[in-house]
Amino acid sequence: MVWSKDVLIGTIGYHNLSNHSIGPILFEKIKNLPWASHVQVEEFNWGPIAIVQWFQALEKTFDRLVIFTAISREMREIGELTIFKWGGETPSPHEIQARIGDAVTGVISPENLLIIGEHFNIWPEEVYLFDIEPGPEKAGPDLTIEVAENVVDYLDILHKVCLHGEQSEENFPTLYGYQMPIS
Amino acid sequence: MCFKNLPIEFDEKGNAFLKEGVNNPYEYKVVELDKEQDKLKDLMVKNGYIKNIDYDPVTRVAGALAFHSVVDLQKKEVLSTNSMATLFRGYEIILKGRDPRDAAYISSRACGVCGGVHATTSAQAIEMALGIKPPPLGIVMRNILLAIEYLYDHPLHLFLLAGPDYSEELVKETNPELISKAETTATKFENVHGYKTVLDIMKDLNPLKGRLYLEALEMTRVAREAYVVIGGKYPHPQSVIPGGLSVTVNITTLNEVYHRLIKFFDYGQKVCGIWDDVFDFFLEQNPAYAKSGSRPATMADTGVWDRPDAYDATYENCEAWGEARWATPGVLVDGEVVTTSLQRLNVGMEEFVEHSYYEKWNGHPYPKDPLGSPLSPHHPWNKETIPKPGKQSWKDRYSWDTSPTWDRQPMEAGAYARLYLTAKAQKLPESRFLESTGSSLKIRIPAHKLPEAEMEWKVPAQWNTFERNRARAYCIPYSAAVAMENWMLAQQLIREGQTAVSTKYEIPKKGTFIGFGAWGAGRGFLTHHLIIENGVIGNYQIITPSTLNAAPRTPWGAPGPYEEAVMNTPLLENFDKPEDYKGIDILRAIRSFDPCMPCTTHIMSKNEKHVVTREVTTCACGVE
Repeated sequence: MVWSKDVLIGTIGYHNLSNHSIGPILFEKIKNLPWASHVQVEEFNWGPIAIVQWFQALEKTFDRLVIFTAISREMREIGELTIFKWGGETPSPHEIQARIGDAVTGVISPENLLIIGEHFNIWPEEVYLFDIEPGPEKAGPDLTIEVAENVVDYLDILHKVCLHGEQSEENFPTLYGYQMPIS
Repeated sequence: MCFKNLPIEFDEKGNAFLKEGVNNPYEYKVVELDKEQDKLKDLMVKNGYIKNIDYDPVTRVAGALAFHSVVDLQKKEVLSTNSMATLFRGYEIILKGRDPRDAAYISSRACGVCGGVHATTSAQAIEMALGIKPPPLGIVMRNILLAIEYLYDHPLHLFLLAGPDYSEELVKETNPELISKAETTATKFENVHGYKTVLDIMKDLNPLKGRLYLEALEMTRVAREAYVVIGGKYPHPQSVIPGGLSVTVNITTLNEVYHRLIKFFDYGQKVCGIWDDVFDFFLEQNPAYAKSGSRPATMADTGVWDRPDAYDATYENCEAWGEARWATPGVLVDGEVVTTSLQRLNVGMEEFVEHSYYEKWNGHPYPKDPLGSPLSPHHPWNKETIPKPGKQSWKDRYSWDTSPTWDRQPMEAGAYARLYLTAKAQKLPESRFLESTGSSLKIRIPAHKLPEAEMEWKVPAQWNTFERNRARAYCIPYSAAVAMENWMLAQQLIREGQTAVSTKYEIPKKGTFIGFGAWGAGRGFLTHHLIIENGVIGNYQIITPSTLNAAPRTPWGAPGPYEEAVMNTPLLENFDKPEDYKGIDILRAIRSFDPCMPCTTHIMSKNEKHVVTREVTTCACGVE
């Protein structure tokens, strides 16, 4: 059954860092996909606090949030996609404060966003982290071949996740706030 | 005579020249640090209470700062300090060879808070190099934009970064004896902030849930909203360009700004009342707190906020347009104003790398400034950035930061320096809202929900941790007042039909042009020194406030401002066993400078393809 509630896709990442910038690189492409009117695509690079305040000001919140980004993780091949279901549960107040400190001084980080958003209780019921392995950090406006050749698949899966959530064919591990290393 | 250490004198017309008969006028003696370090090692072997205490990273600051100290936990004193910028900033190298018009956009990325300040300073450097004078409305709107940036920045620092150090939660852990006293100490400024006791304030300073913490977060939103009306986006504005701004400004724009700006009239009064009560409480409870983070009030500032009738972007007139700024430029040495001349400020600047991960350079292409005043080979216009990563050693090199000096003295930078200089210098042009008395700055803050008020920041008897933050609090109403003054000017200009906000210019394809931009971030002044050669950037040198404040030792062994301030900090934390020591006094001292390391240090660009790598020498384990 096709989901018809409100979905928000947010892309995150610094610019000009090749695979690490997959969020901003694919933003226009994702935005121009043939979405139904209940799917909204936004760039989420304006900092966790600004995003929290944006959510707080919404008259009607979303039912599902999908964060599209790249995070280096161990034991993954470059280009490998993992979709996590956000399980909430924030780390210690000390660590939340450290992440807020990062956020207000300009650090762009999906992990910080998830934790700060959880602390301020802004997230919709369903939050997914669409997370691609970028490999080593390098400069440049383009994706490497290992990532570029999978873009069609990423977008296809993103489409399914946005419209079907847990009813899609993917198997989502749960990610909790206390599991996330400080970036 | 403003220079005591550099061999520079002035003739009867005020023209500078090098003192005659000095063979090597810019020579200096390098002091070896080996003996000091060996002595400390001996002490540590003999006395179990003397320990290395490392803060790596220093938290609740922006970016990568580490701090090494040797403390005597029995005598409760600091014996030695080293401030370490742990990442390399590559903007000088990234910008070389590029079109000068890229500089504002690229240098803006040096910081995630004060990008607009870098963009503006960069624009000003190009304006000076090429003689571009922005139109009055462009100057006035730039002033408003940057005043608003401070209205974002100061609450952020005071309540989200430094504020938790004075919260009930933290003070309970480090100095529980103060909590019961705070509970019974009535506040003096309940009329503006509504709190009856100091403990009530401290509870609302608690991180994450305290009302003052949350209110500051909300106020950063208000400031950001006003900022983007002019800048297009935050923190990297799209509209700041050489020659003014690239945004249409009309009455609607001004109304959008005004509705946000007025909220800072009340908030400014409240914030000053809050911090006056908290800091007075600490200083009254234990007068030894006055020594915390103390150092002489030796600081510099380039001033900010240009008057549209004075600013012409030329080096030749920089003394006149500098002194006309709403914040007076200059240098304070031990609390006394030694100059208010932007030119003399520029002439006295040098940068040293003996204790930094850089090679020394040999050239001296600019022995004089455009007015004929002598320039040191260590002046930014003569400097080359040659990174040299290496082993960390307290005896030798230990930071990616350099040692900038003015007249061979380490200088402190801060928002408070602009307040201090403006108060002392009495050069402030006629203003509806500000009055410089020589010992204070009076700020007439308009009514919003609170009635109109005259606030007064007074030059403190001792410069320390608390006074830095107190002055920063007063910079909120100060910035709001300057923004309001410029807002009224903008209205007048629009009414008169003077709606142009930028001046057209072209980059000459041939020739050499030099300039420098001088503006201030929330945490103090910054300069961008630029040389354009045949249409591209030949050299670009950035000195930020945290370059000055986080500096390692000078070649002759003088500590940088963080290092000196922490050395002078008594350990007033209450602890029985060394393992319970948390280091709050040292952290308060460092945070009082509002460190912002992204500007100071950044990424390294290897080879011409700008491959980004991170060269991090941060762990102090095993350091000599």
